[in-house]
This record gives sequence, structure tokens and C-alpha cells, in this order.
Amino acid sequence: MKPKTDVPLQDEPRELRSELMVLNVGPQHPSTHGVLRVVVTLAGEEIVDLVPHIGYLHSGFEKTMEHRTYTQNFTYTPRMDYVHSFAHDLAYALAVEKLVGAQVPERAETIRIILNELSRIASHLIFVATGLLDLGAMTPFFYAFREREAILDLFEWVSGQRFHHNYIRVGGLKEDVPEEFVPELKKFLAGFLAKVDDYQGMFDGSPIFESRAREIGVIPPEVAINLGLTGGSLRASGVNYDVRKAHPYGGYDKYDFDVPLGTRGDVYDRMIVRLEEMRQSHRIIAQAVERIEPGPIRDPNPHLSLPPREMLGRSMEALIYHFKLVTEGFHPPLGEVYVPTESARGELAYYIVSDGGSRPYRVKIRTPEFVNIQSLAYASKGHQFADFIAILATLDPVLGGIDR
Amino acid sequence: MRLERALAYAAERGYAVEEARDLVWIDVPRDDLPGFFEAAQELGFNYLANVVGIDYSSYPEPRPERFAVLYELVSIKGWKDGDGSRFFARVWVPERDPVLPSAVPFYASANFFEREIYDLLGLRFEGHPDLRKILTPEDLEGHPLRKDYPLGETPTQFKDGRYIDPASFRAGLAGGDPGLTGRRGGARRGFAEIYEDVRRAQAAEGEDA
Repeated sequence: MKPKTDVPLQDEPRELRSELMVLNVGPQHPSTHGVLRVVVTLAGEEIVDLVPHIGYLHSGFEKTMEHRTYTQNFTYTPRMDYVHSFAHDLAYALAVEKLVGAQVPERAETIRIILNELSRIASHLIFVATGLLDLGAMTPFFYAFREREAILDLFEWVSGQRFHHNYIRVGGLKEDVPEEFVPELKKFLAGFLAKVDDYQGMFDGSPIFESRAREIGVIPPEVAINLGLTGGSLRASGVNYDVRKAHPYGGYDKYDFDVPLGTRGDVYDRMIVRLEEMRQSHRIIAQAVERIEPGPIRDPNPHLSLPPREMLGRSMEALIYHFKLVTEGFHPPLGEVYVPTESARGELAYYIVSDGGSRPYRVKIRTPEFVNIQSLAYASKGHQFADFIAILATLDPVLGGIDR
Repeated sequence: MRLERALAYAAERGYAVEEARDLVWIDVPRDDLPGFFEAAQELGFNYLANVVGIDYSSYPEPRPERFAVLYELVSIKGWKDGDGSRFFARVWVPERDPVLPSAVPFYASANFFEREIYDLLGLRFEGHPDLRKILTPEDLEGHPLRKDYPLGETPTQFKDGRYIDPASFRAGLAGGDPGLTGRRGGARRGFAEIYEDVRRAQAAEGEDA
């Protein structure tokens, strides 16, 4: 800057003063992945302090779920994490099934795992696409969304919906998958691994990406555990904690897959771990497609599952059960349940308290994003402001899940 | 197994233990909580996975106190010698004195969980570094997850200007003051004005008679 000419020259230079600057980021900004507001204190470009403010998307799901029947609540579960929505459906269904003691048939279990893993791939594709977009790489975004589109088409085929599927039910599934689903799925699987390699080739090894991602936002394993970080971000720090392996649920113990781990816990590792997880999800689906066999898709217990439609005209009993289930719902016994599961973002669990009525007494949802976002301050302090965007992207926040 | 050691610790101090559906709850007295967290960390429970706050005021079975706060402690599998043991440390909190010690000095992940419970259930955590509301708007009064928090209901206005205020409508069904009608456009203003309208209309009726 040129000195102003009208300022008289002084014998001694003025004292150079510096002060901290407070910068408000969000809540309406594309790089905050939703309506997250972060107040950052900066010394020049360096982050001194950071406070996330959440709640802009709070919808009171927990309170609403107390006033809907157990089956009606499937409307709300996918709306929390709209990126990996099958994880929420599954976590809620597993908790209620444990409460009522439902037996899920083999076929339903396999289809659930296929859909859950497909959904995980779709979520990781968004993670990679938007994460790289935040770092200035625009090309991968279009390729990743092409594959995600193929997955959403499969979902639409199965459930009629692309996002909010409402397909899983307590004790099984709403209906069977269409005949063409498995051949189409095989077509998708055949070409997918080569595409993951393509994505990796787009950024892995690039010196620009390396300098933006290596040693940025490092979270050591002890700190990550204490902060409650879970999911791919925790595994990037080298902690081998995947709920699918550590506390198997929903039939995951029958499948053979690895848990990819990072070593440094920086932005780079978090990105690579997600890519590797896509390959592992592909491996699980490939095994599941081989296992899928014809059979029932719902628990035959008439107190839980609706009778087949054609029975209603012939059987009085079936009509009564149908009427009772639709108007009132089923009544689980008194008690409390909790089933931890692994969503694309980390440990996801529903704590359900039943008072014996047809509606839950209390539902507490442990969403991984809500806990993971607490690591943001630790990971960002001491870094440049531009790195904060990369760190936020690799913690994979979904604001619907944070605010519930 | 770490869980057995935690149960032995509980038995030593006479804490009640409940087991159901592969889950374990240990009832920790409120004042012993910091000591219990310290002992749990020494036993290897290094990960606080979840904090659940529950209002039992309309639960069909009697409970010791109105509120319960559950801390899910986990020895994380896959790090050092963690074995995946998990249990819930349960603290009963009375309605008169809804205060309990914070877990943040021991587990950093408790920070947002406790703020959430403070916001939605109205329990205060002593020693929390930043106890503010977290999810609900700053001007919202009350704690929505309490069972006595009223559900949001809006008066319905009909074309002829008549409106139904759901709460008074239900009161009318039970023989109370129905408060069914108001002046045209009354419902477009705030609640206070609506009630003011009703009061004025009733006063006018009284004068006529």
C-alpha cells in the first residue's frame, strides 16, 4: 500500500498494532455442508479459536417420535441423515426388533445389508465429491454424482423413493425387491471398482492435494476417542473400531470384509479411508448378492406384520389383525433397548424406552455427526483458515443428523 | 473382562445393577459420579459413547426420581487392549434439585450431550465449561422433552371469522369454558390478543344480560 501523501512524515514510525479478528462462517454457506454456523477467531490467517453453533435445522424428531406409532416413525428416521438414510432405518428397526423380539428372515436381512452398503457407497461418493470440491477440484464431483445417480435409481426401483425410502419395517421389509433388481445390481457392481480407482487417480499423488491435505487437521487416536469421534474419521487416526466388526448386528458377522485404517489421522488419511471403505462395501454387496435366496421377507408373527393383502377378503382373523395394526400398532413390552450400529459417519444408535404402549415413551438418537462436530475445534486450531474448510469437509457433517 | 471389574467395583460400593436384553445399567449416586468416572477410566472405559436424559414423570412403573441421566461407557475395541465392554452408568436426578456433576473433565465428548440435556430437559451440569442452549432457539422457553411440555397447537380460523383454540375446545368437551368464537380476523393476531377478544366479548355479553 502506498503511504498517503497528506500524512505528515513522522520522526519515529508509528507502533504497529495487531489484534484478533472474529469471523462468522455460515449458517448459509456451501462449504459448511448445510446450516452450520462457526465463529472463528483469527490471528491473521491462523485459527486461534473456533466455536460451532448448531441447531438451525432442529426439527424436534425425538419429541415427535414419542407421539407416533413404532411403524409411523419410519417416516422420520431417514430424514435425519438424508445422505446415508438406510443406516437410520436399519438402526431404528434393529432397536425395535430387539424390544419386541422379532425374527427377521434371512432374505430380508440380506437385502437390508445390500441396501445399507449401497447407501454407504452413495454417502462416501458425496463425501469424496464435495470434499474435493471444497479444495478446488471440480471434476471428481461430476463423476461421483454419476455413480450416485445409478445407486439412487436402484433405490427408486426398490422402494419408489430416491432419498426417504421408508422401506424397512419392524421384522423385515415393506415388500420384496422387483425381479430385475438383482441383475441390475450386478451390472452396477461389475463396473464400480474401476471407477473408484479413477476417483483415486484424480487426486491421490497430486502434489497440490498433498500439500493441502498432509499433516492438516491431525487428530491423535487418544484425543479422538476422548472426543467421541467415530466412523471413518476415527479409523483414519488408526483406531480399529468399526461397529460392524466390534459389535456385529443385522447379520454382518456372516460377511468377510476388512476395516481400512489410516496412520496419521490427517485430512489425507480421512479421504483415503473413505475410498477404501467403498471397495469394502462393494465386497460385502458382492457376497450378499451370492447369498440372496427366495424366501419370506417379513416376520410371520401376525401381531407385528400386516397379513398378505389377498387374505383380507377371505379371513376374518387377518382382517382383524390388519385393522388393529393399522389403527393402533403393536405393543412392545415395558423396557429399554439400545443397538449400536455403524453408519457412514460413525456410531449410530437409537435408545428406545417403551412404556408398553404402541408409541415409544422416549427415543434418544445418538447421531455420529453430532458428536464428531466437537472435534472440529481441536483439529482446526493452529491451521490456516483455508484448511478449516478441508477439515470440516473430511469430518463429514450432515446437518440433519446434527440438529435432528 | 472389564465389565466384570466394573460390576465388582459397583458391588463393592453397594450400587444397584440392572441387567436386561444384553444391556447393563449401574445406578451411581449423584455425588459419587466424578469418582466413578475416574475409576471407570482407570478400568479402561476410555470412550463415552452416549448420554441419554429421560423424564420418567408419566412412566407407568414407579421410578426412584423423575429424571434419569445415562452415561454409556465403552472400552473401545480396536485400540490397545480394549475389549468392547459397554454399560450404562445411571444417575437419578430429583425434580426439586435438577443438578448433577459434569462429565466433561473426564470425557470431552460429554460437552454437546450435556448441553443438549440442559436445553431439552432442563438439568444443570456443574463444572461444565460452556453450558448454553444448543438446539432450540434462544427465545424458546421451557424444555421440550419434559413430559409436561405442551405440544404446539395453533388456533384454526374458519372463513366466517370463527376460530377454534384446541385447548379451550377440549376444555369445552369436558364441561369447561369452550371459548369457541371470536371476532373476524381475531386469529391473525397473537394469542394474547385472541384471549383479549374472547374476554371482551364475554364481558359485553354479561352487560347485555
